[in-house]
Formats: sequence, C-alpha cells, structure tokens
Amino acid sequence: MTRQVDDYLEAEIQRLLTEDDRVAEQGITVQRREQSVVLGGEVESPERRAEICRRITERFPDVEITCDIGITRTSVPVDAEEIS
Amino acid sequence: MIRVAAVGDVHVDHDVVGRYRPALEQLPEVADALLIAGDLTRHGTVEEARSFVTEFGGLAVPVVTVLGNHDHQSDQQDAVSTVLTDAGITVLEGTSAVLELGGRRLGVAGVKGFGGGFGGTCASNFGEREMKDFVRVGEDAANRLEAALTGVECDALVALTHYAPVPETLAGEPPEIHAFLGSYQLGRAIDAAGATLALHGHAHHGTERGRTPGGVPVRNVAHPVIKQAYNVYQLLSDEAEVTLVHA
Repeated sequence: MTRQVDDYLEAEIQRLLTEDDRVAEQGITVQRREQSVVLGGEVESPERRAEICRRITERFPDVEITCDIGITRTSVPVDAEEIS
Repeated sequence: MIRVAAVGDVHVDHDVVGRYRPALEQLPEVADALLIAGDLTRHGTVEEARSFVTEFGGLAVPVVTVLGNHDHQSDQQDAVSTVLTDAGITVLEGTSAVLELGGRRLGVAGVKGFGGGFGGTCASNFGEREMKDFVRVGEDAANRLEAALTGVECDALVALTHYAPVPETLAGEPPEIHAFLGSYQLGRAIDAAGATLALHGHAHHGTERGRTPGGVPVRNVAHPVIKQAYNVYQLLSDEAEVTLVHA
C-alpha cells in the first residue's frame, strides 16, 4: 500500500536528513506536493545530493520523491561591500 | 581600509576538498583576512577537521574561525580545534584576536553562540531543568562574547558567531525554528560592547543583511546564503574614517 504523505512522514524525513550520519544536513527543505515530497536546498557536493536522494528513496520506497537539491557555487566574488 | 573575506557553513569532508581552493588562492588579491562563521565540518570529527585544514589551511592571509553546532556533533570539538590551531588557524570561543593588517588593527571576538530566540518569542529561564539549561547556555555564550569584545583594542572590531544575533538575517527560515537559530542575547552583547560588523552563519535559508537594535551591521555569511566561496566586506574605508572623525 502506498504510504500517505502527511505530517508524520514529513517529520520522519526531516529527522532522517539531520540524524542519518551519511546525510547530516539541516538545510534541506521538505515540502508536500499532493501525494509526493519535494526536497529542496543546497549541499556542498554532488555526492551528498546523490546520497540524500538514495537514502530517502531507500527508506520510503513507496513515496514519490522529487530531489530538487542544488550544489552551492564556490566562485570568487566580483565585488565587495563597504560597511559603514 | 581593511578587507575582510567571510563565509560560514562550508561543511568540509573529503568530498569537498578542492572545491574552494581555487577561490581561496585568490584571497590575497581581494582580502586581508578570512573569517569563517562555524560549521567547518559535517560531523565534527578529527578526520573532517584534517580535510578542512587541507582546503582552508596554508593560505596567504590569516584565517580566524569559530566552531558551529556540526563541529560539536562527535564530541571531538577540542581535538578539532587542536587540528585547526596546529595548522595556524585561529579558533575563537569566548576569546579574541588582533590582526595587524597594513598598519591597521582588526580585532575579532568570537563565540559559537546558541539558540534562545528573539523578542517576544524568546525562551525563558523557567520550568524544567532542561529548559533552564537551554537558556543558561545561550546566556553564558552571550556573556563570554561581550567580555571578549570589550577586551579588544583595535581600529575595527568584528563579532564572529555561528548562531545569529538578530532575527532579520533569519528571514526565509520558518519562524518556528528561530529559537534554534540564534538569540537576542548575542545581539545585546554586540550592542553593549560595540562592534564595526557582526558576522554569523547557521541559517542556510536566511538573508544576508540585517542590523542590531543598536545599529551594528549584521551579515549572515552561510555559504548557501552568499552562494559563492566568500563575501568581501570593506571596513575603515576613507569615507568611513572621515565620518568617525566628525562623530
């Protein structure tokens, strides 16, 4: 039976994202979209994004998950802000 | 003028080594020092601290950090600090450092900080022991920050924390978790001691710019907020110096 997407599922995913040692992310958003879950936010490497999606899909195989997580850029700034 | 580069929440592990380095190698061209607002690692292990040092160590500008909550996850924060210190990186926790930069003195006072919340929704020292402990840890951190800020003699003073000192730079985060992202007590400490700039991280979905009730500029430099290797802030520019002379 397909698991219902509700508050309890959302909380389980939220805690897994932080408490699973292989994830340990506090900056991932969990949003319900009808009967699916959308993960958002940014992480430091493509490996981390792949691991998050793999862990969530593995733990909740009957839930439709959209992994909309980006990789934070590490470019050099082109300007500076004057503080006054 | 002093140019301060800043970033937080870089969460380095072996998979990140090499991502920041090209931008860090260019630091001497754009900044005089690099300040890092905590969450240097993912789980706060010694191994991750070594990865951090590989990426952020040996730079041509001084590096000053505080630890973040992630750096405490494995209860190895003291060993993590030792790895950083041995690599020439300054780690602040209720302490301060003064950097001589081109004839000007940049003072940096730092503390990790803690939660507690803001304004009318802050936590109170009341009820269960666990609740009182939560409030006490935040108050203690703020008091140590104030003492560290007050003791610095310098030309420009920066307060460096992981947790946020004002709610403005949390805009974008759910209000329900603001009490876990920072504390007005940090802002109170910064205002009481006076500072040129306050830098923090921790709030990945927050907003870069804010100001304390006393008028100190606050910048949330969490990496997902600034979306580049580091931001650069100019302190004591000629215009600002003229303003200070006439104040």
